[in-house]
Amino acid sequence: MIRHLPALLFLIPFSVAVSLPLVGVRHRQWCRPLALGAVAAMSALAGLNLIAVLTYGASRYAFGGWAAPIGIEWLNDELAAIIVLTLSLLTLTSLVFAGGTAPRTLGGRVVPFYTLILLQNSALAGVVFAADVFNVFVFLEVAALAGYALVGVSGGRALVSAFRYLILGSLGASLYLLGVGYLYAATGTLSMADLGGRVPEMLASPAIVGGLTFIFLGLAIKMAIMPMHGWLPDAYTHAPEAVSPFLASSVTKVAMIVWIRIMFWVVGPNASIEHIPVITFLDELGAITAVAGALLALTQREIKRMFAYGGISHMGLVLMAVSLGNPTAFAGGVFYLINDAVMQAALFFLAGTAIHQYGARTLDDLGGLRSPAWLTGALILVAMSMVGIPPTGGFFGKWNIILGAIEAGNYFAVGAVILSTLLTLGYFVKLFERLFTGPEPESAPSHATPLSLRVSIASVSAAIILLGVCSDPIVRVLLESALPDGM
Amino acid sequence: MLELVGAWLLRPNVVAFVILFLSGFYIMVTHHNLIKKVIGLYILQTSVIFFLVAFSAKTGATVPILLPGADPVDVGLYTNPLPHVLTLTAIVVQVATLGVSLALVSAIYRQYGSLDEDEVGKRLE
Repeated sequence: MIRHLPALLFLIPFSVAVSLPLVGVRHRQWCRPLALGAVAAMSALAGLNLIAVLTYGASRYAFGGWAAPIGIEWLNDELAAIIVLTLSLLTLTSLVFAGGTAPRTLGGRVVPFYTLILLQNSALAGVVFAADVFNVFVFLEVAALAGYALVGVSGGRALVSAFRYLILGSLGASLYLLGVGYLYAATGTLSMADLGGRVPEMLASPAIVGGLTFIFLGLAIKMAIMPMHGWLPDAYTHAPEAVSPFLASSVTKVAMIVWIRIMFWVVGPNASIEHIPVITFLDELGAITAVAGALLALTQREIKRMFAYGGISHMGLVLMAVSLGNPTAFAGGVFYLINDAVMQAALFFLAGTAIHQYGARTLDDLGGLRSPAWLTGALILVAMSMVGIPPTGGFFGKWNIILGAIEAGNYFAVGAVILSTLLTLGYFVKLFERLFTGPEPESAPSHATPLSLRVSIASVSAAIILLGVCSDPIVRVLLESALPDGM
Repeated sequence: MLELVGAWLLRPNVVAFVILFLSGFYIMVTHHNLIKKVIGLYILQTSVIFFLVAFSAKTGATVPILLPGADPVDVGLYTNPLPHVLTLTAIVVQVATLGVSLALVSAIYRQYGSLDEDEVGKRLE
C-alpha cells in the first residue's frame, strides 16, 4: 500500500473528478461532500507519503511494473512529497472556502466547478511526481485546460481573461513541447534520470541549448515571470472568488517546481558552457520580476489585481533564490515557494471575502472592512508574512534567501530582496491606509459571514504562523534531503 | 550567405517547420478576430507536431514490428515508434485545447455579440 501511494494520490481525485458529472446530474448536493472527501483523503495520504519518504527515502514508482527506459516512471522524493502535501492541503482549504461563495459567484455551475478543481488538482500532483519530461507536458496541459475552464466557469468578463490565458498558456505549452523535441532529438531519451546523465556532457551542443531555452520560455509563461506575465493579473482578478485562491496557490508554483527539476536534476547544479554558468542570467530575471511585480502592485486600485501582482513578485524571488545555486538559497527558495502558496491562498481568501460579504473590489471600498476585527487581524498577519516580519513564515524564507545570496557573493540579489520587501511594505501601507481611513458604507452587510469562510481564513492564518514557528525543521529537511545531487 | 541557404535547402523539413511556426505565431499576435487567433494557435501547435514527425523520419525503414527470424535485430530496418507516440499524445492535447478555446470563443460571442477583440473590449467597459 505504501509503495502505491504516489499513484493513489493521483487516482483518488482523478476518479472522483470523472465520476462527479455523472453523480451531479441527479444529486447536485452530493458534489461538495464528495469533492471534500476526495481531497481530504488525498491530503491524509500525502501526509502519510511524506512520512514514508522521510522514513524510507526517495523511491521510484513504475507504472504497471514496467521499469524506466520502457515504462512510465514517477519519482517520489522529499521535494515532490512536500509540494504535493502543500498542494492538497491548500486545495482542501480552497474547497472549504468555495463552499461559502460557490453558489452565488459560480452562477449555478457547481458541478463543473468541483469536477475541474479535482481534475486540476490530480494533474498538478502528476506534474510534481512525473519523472520524464513528456509526462510533465501532458499533465501540465491537463492542469492548464482545467485552469482555463475554471477561470471562465461563471461567464461574464472572466471569459475574455480565460481566452487570453488560454492563448498564452498554449503558446507556453507548445514552446515546452518544442524544447522536449529538441532534447529528445539530441539525446534519444525523455526520462529525467537518463537526461541527467547525458545533457551535462552535451551542454555545448546547439540543440541542447535551444531545447533548454524553449523549455524555459514555455515554463516562464506558466510561472508568469516578468515579460511573460500578461495573462495572470486579468485571469486571477476576473476569476470567480471561489476559483482564484486555488489557482493562485498552485499553478505558477508547480511550473516553478518543473523548472527546478529540469534545472537541477537534468542540467545539474554547477553546469557551465565555456566557463559561463548556465543559470547566470536567471537570477537577474528573477530579481527584475521581484522588483517590477511589487512596483506594479503598488500602482493597482483593484484589490485582487494588487495581490496578483504581489504573487508575480514573489515568484520572481523564488526564481532568483533557486538560481543562486547554493544549498542555503535553494532551500530558502523552496521554503519561500511553500510560503508563497499559503500566502496567495490567504490573500485571495481575504479578497474573496471582501467582495462576497462587503462588495469591496477596489481600495476605496475597503473602509467597510474595519469593523470585523478577525478579518483585519488576518489581513495584518498575511501582510506581515508578505513583507517578512519575524514570527511569520515569509520572514524565514527571505532570511534564508538573503543568507544564500550573501554566501554566493551576489549583492545585486540582496538588494533586490530588500527593494521588493520595501515595495511590498509600500502597497500594504497603501491598503491599510484605505482600510483605516476610508469612508464606511451606510449599510452594514446584511448577512453574517459563513462559517466556511472563517474556517478557511483561520486555517491559512494558522498555517502562516506554523510555517514561521516550524521553519527551522522544514528548512533542515529541505537542506538534508531535498537538494539535487552535487549541490 | 550562400552556404547558409545551401544548409537550409538540405533540411527542407526544418525550414517548413520554422515557416509554419512563425506564420502561426504571426496570425496569433496580429489578428483581432478571436477565431483567427485560435487558427494561429492551431497552426503553431501543428508545426511543433510536424517537427516531432520530421526528425523521426527514416528512409528505408518500416513499421516497428519485429520481422520473423531477425536475430540480431537490425535497427536500421525499423522506425523509432516513440516520436510517433509523442505525436499522437500531442495531437490529443491539441484537440482538447482547440475544444476548450472554441467553447470559450462561443461563450464570448453569446455574451458580447462580437468576435472582434477590440469590439469585445469596448463592450466590457
